[in-house]
Amino acid sequence: MINSIIRYTIIFIVLILLQLLLFNNIQFSGFINPYVYIMFILLLPVEISPWLLLIISFFTGLTIDFFIGTPGLHASATVLSGFLRPYVLRLISPRDGYDPGATPSMEIYGFRWFLIYTLFIVLIHHFSLFYLEVFRFTDFLRTFLRVLLSSVFSVTFILLAEYYRRGR
Amino acid sequence: MKNLLNFLARYNNLIIFLLLEGIAIFLVVTGNDYQNSRVLKNVRVLSIGIEKKISNTRTYLNLHEINTKISQENVDLRNKLDRLIKSESPLFFSVADTIHQQQYVYTSAEIVNNSTNRQKNFFTLNKGIKQGIDVDMAVTSGEGVAGIIVSSSENFSVAMSLLNLDFRLSVRMKSNGFFGSLSWDGRDYKYAILNEIPQHVIINEGDTVETTGYSAIFPQGKLIGVVSDFEKAGGDFYKIRILLATDFKKLNYVNVIGNLRRTEQKLVEKSYQ
Repeated sequence: MINSIIRYTIIFIVLILLQLLLFNNIQFSGFINPYVYIMFILLLPVEISPWLLLIISFFTGLTIDFFIGTPGLHASATVLSGFLRPYVLRLISPRDGYDPGATPSMEIYGFRWFLIYTLFIVLIHHFSLFYLEVFRFTDFLRTFLRVLLSSVFSVTFILLAEYYRRGR
Repeated sequence: MKNLLNFLARYNNLIIFLLLEGIAIFLVVTGNDYQNSRVLKNVRVLSIGIEKKISNTRTYLNLHEINTKISQENVDLRNKLDRLIKSESPLFFSVADTIHQQQYVYTSAEIVNNSTNRQKNFFTLNKGIKQGIDVDMAVTSGEGVAGIIVSSSENFSVAMSLLNLDFRLSVRMKSNGFFGSLSWDGRDYKYAILNEIPQHVIINEGDTVETTGYSAIFPQGKLIGVVSDFEKAGGDFYKIRILLATDFKKLNYVNVIGNLRRTEQKLVEKSYQ
């Protein structure tokens, strides 16, 4: 228990630092803004109680918000992702269900499963984030394109990171 | 009562979700307005320490380029000064006379935090109220217009970058004096959009675009950029793409310009509305 709290704290700090120091500085004509810190919410245990997940999501988003200077923006996107995560997990659950105490990982459930899972959550997160940021529906398609391009980058990074994690 | 408790127990996650989402949306709607956000200002003081360190390193690496730019600017200013001294007639007050003649005050500042990749970009300057910087002052780089101060604390201030969907500025074509409204469409950090120039006006690629000074924020005639291309949009107006003179990715040192007569102008204008 204590062990896993420490482990998740380390993952949290590493992801936040990566996001702030590396990914926030990717300036690719304004179209590609990957937000990889969402991986933290992906990795939380399968059986975590929904209310705890929501609160953790909220504070994860708020942390990012404080450093970027956009109060509430990331928090609202992460809370939505956290809320929908149990439904996504149920939707794509393997035939014999999840093992007790399992964490969503590529090692246990395979590459395909993890890809679909990541894709769902990242898309939910990026959609709500980008549309809330622009806060208008003019240029709908352009925002849509930004969502898709950024999602591709975020998903790619998360898959690579997960692959690396498995290798250790 | 029992039903109510059952209801709460059954939907507790949904309720927590709605509560947290509500808080977040509330923060977005009220807190993103930079002028009203006190919390943000306090938190920024924390993160600004780190940003300052990063900015210091970056400035050091760009020192050579900055030097060339500053010396170039010096030459320009000296030339201008010479011209002014010669043309000055004894009938007028001297330009340095701060009480009667001077309308604009200049000060320089360094950028400690900047972004170009968001839809609503802001940058932070290392000077604030203590150094005389206040809301609604203009910010220019050596090359052209950069932004407007929207919030200032004791030692720092935040400026809305020209690269912000909410940024509007009254500008005109230097060649024929027609004025329109400049905004950014969120696409490319190198280009902005100029609207409201009627279609009977003759414009060419490469025409200079400058500020008008109608808003009493920017002085007249500050360079914005040149016309890159234009098309006839719906209505009777052109949609003109402006290649910005300022390179926002290299912004390091800026000038902040305060208008000493702004309050006076606004007061007079207000009395007629």
